[in-house]
Amino acid sequence: MEIIIYGVINSVILSLMALGFTLVYSIARVPNFAHGALYITTGYIAWLLMNKFVSFPYPLAIVISIGITALIGALIYRFILIRIRGMEISEIIATYAIGLAILEGLRWGGLRGGTFTLPPFIAGSMEIFGVSIDYQRLIIVAVGIIIFASLYLFTHFNRVGLALRGIAQDERAAMMLGIDSDMTAIVSLAIGSGLAGFAAILLLPLGNIIVEQGYAVLIFAIAVCVIGGLGSWGGTILASFIIGFAQILTERFLSTHYMMVVALLAIIITLLIKPSGIFGKQKELEERV
Amino acid sequence: MKKLFYLSLVVLFVVFCIPCMTVAQEKPIILGAPLSTAFLYGWDAERGIKLAVDEINAAGGVNVGGKKRPFKVEVIDTRDLEPGVPVADALLAVEKLILEKKADFIVGGPVRSEAALAAMDLLSKHKKISILTTGVLTPAYSKRVAENYGKYKYCFRNSSEVPVMMGDFMAMLDDLNKTQGFNKAYIMVQDVAHARAGGEYMKKALTEKKWEVIDMKIYPTGTTDYSQGLIDSGKKGAQILFLWMDMPESAALLQQWSNMKLKSLPMGFMNAAEQPGFWKATGGKGEYMIVNLVNGGNAPAKITPWTMKFVDAYKKKWGLEPEGYGTSSSYMAVYQYKDAIEKAKTTDPDAVVTALENQDLMGVYGRMRFDKKTHQIIPSWDPKEGAVTGIIQWQAGKRVQVFPPKVAEGKIMLPPWMK
Repeated sequence: MEIIIYGVINSVILSLMALGFTLVYSIARVPNFAHGALYITTGYIAWLLMNKFVSFPYPLAIVISIGITALIGALIYRFILIRIRGMEISEIIATYAIGLAILEGLRWGGLRGGTFTLPPFIAGSMEIFGVSIDYQRLIIVAVGIIIFASLYLFTHFNRVGLALRGIAQDERAAMMLGIDSDMTAIVSLAIGSGLAGFAAILLLPLGNIIVEQGYAVLIFAIAVCVIGGLGSWGGTILASFIIGFAQILTERFLSTHYMMVVALLAIIITLLIKPSGIFGKQKELEERV
Repeated sequence: MKKLFYLSLVVLFVVFCIPCMTVAQEKPIILGAPLSTAFLYGWDAERGIKLAVDEINAAGGVNVGGKKRPFKVEVIDTRDLEPGVPVADALLAVEKLILEKKADFIVGGPVRSEAALAAMDLLSKHKKISILTTGVLTPAYSKRVAENYGKYKYCFRNSSEVPVMMGDFMAMLDDLNKTQGFNKAYIMVQDVAHARAGGEYMKKALTEKKWEVIDMKIYPTGTTDYSQGLIDSGKKGAQILFLWMDMPESAALLQQWSNMKLKSLPMGFMNAAEQPGFWKATGGKGEYMIVNLVNGGNAPAKITPWTMKFVDAYKKKWGLEPEGYGTSSSYMAVYQYKDAIEKAKTTDPDAVVTALENQDLMGVYGRMRFDKKTHQIIPSWDPKEGAVTGIIQWQAGKRVQVFPPKVAEGKIMLPPWMK
């Protein structure tokens, strides 16, 4: 039973890590390699707001930190990515460089070591079918489901969301209908970065805030997106569950130190068998040919 | 007008006289410190070194054959504790200290064992004495000195090494076996060379002592979920969780252990649990964790009269208690250099090597003497005989020294849910 319970938890955690990355790619077609840096930045901002400055209350610190991260995402597009839009290699290099600058900047600024933490929303644990689970992990699963449902509703029933989907499906056609391509890209970067921040606020109370996690989150986000298919929401969820359960099963029945290998091995296998990913549309036609 | 005149005099004094006074000072003795400054074992060593240098310089400096010379520290970031940074980068940093910064002596690192072992040839080539104070716990370091003394005689280490630390742990476990009847252990280590070696060593030693080692799990660096291993340890009745990890993420392990209320006592070598901020960071979930801080004085304790003097001076200068492994040893290394240089009456490396070999100094964590063959500090459980370890347990928000018995300030406590 613990394999099922912790498998689901691990899968939801992975999907939350990858959600913002998928959203930005699916709409703006920008591979945001600064995703991990934005994730960890949110944690540090929340920590600083609560511990260094005016001792903001936790909920307010959460809202402000996510807001700042979303703003950073929007500014990254408005001032940097807009100039290299469409040049994928340049986009990768630029976003990766921004991420690197942010992460190394945080370290340079003295945010190092393992004593930076965010408190859990509710402390303590309970038993489900005899398996001990802390409340924070239960909250992660519940909030994860709510976020996925909200995003589905937003992109299917909201004008802005529909515009985002329009751009994602056919940018030129959407522009002919009056949808501003750059503005939707700015919005998508803001939402994607905000989602990275939201994931950080949910997940960081499980451990501590460490610069190196920015790199780890980026690797997991890329792994999930490559396996699921870049830009595919369904693929993201499915890939999260594949990797999430594979990791738990590896830890339980094989050896714990292969857990990271599982994600990387899955990328290699996917690229060999179906390079566009499980639900990926990109290059699917070329693959068939 | 008069005010303006006096003000001008003061300005002229500051501009012309103070630089002249500095020039008039003797040439400083440069201590090169290659440290991985983004990590605890780097920055706490840097603070320890700087504190000692400030104290020595304030007291007049080092008496080198009748001339008082100040110490000057040159710190360089080796980044060797960061994942993916090649050993060659750390070697370049050491070489830069020697060739560009003109370091007379090396103190501190490199911090990662692989880099420190590789740097030995460089030190030998340039005839630079190094006192290793932090990070490196491999017995291979002292073994190499013993095997090729002529080449590696410039390499010293004043902290500890894995076999000594394991001996300390085994003594504690023997005691727990006798007093509590514990005989089942579960080992969880990080996937890095020293931790795997530590885990294997412990597994062998425990098995020889008729303990049941249920399993040994190896976790990749960066792991934040330890649930499966912990659940397994609980199901199989582990009474001791032996941990060896230097990644900050391992704090999550103790949070999960506490949430699950596992009937096992966590102990080991755990970077995350060393720092004073650990208590707040885990919301008290790390209580009862037993941590090996390698040397006494890395947390408040009354080991020698110098220990608390050092702790208080550190608190005054840096605003917090000594944080963990590498602090007291780095501080002491500077005093060891001072003592050896004064006895040698020169900074000539061969003369200072002899002086260090013959040194007998009562320091922060006991009597400081180097073994003449291995250049490893001589350990002991009695501060009057040798360098004492610092094994603490987190109790009610404080790091309480619980081993060795001669300097223990408290007894090992078990979590209430274990009783």
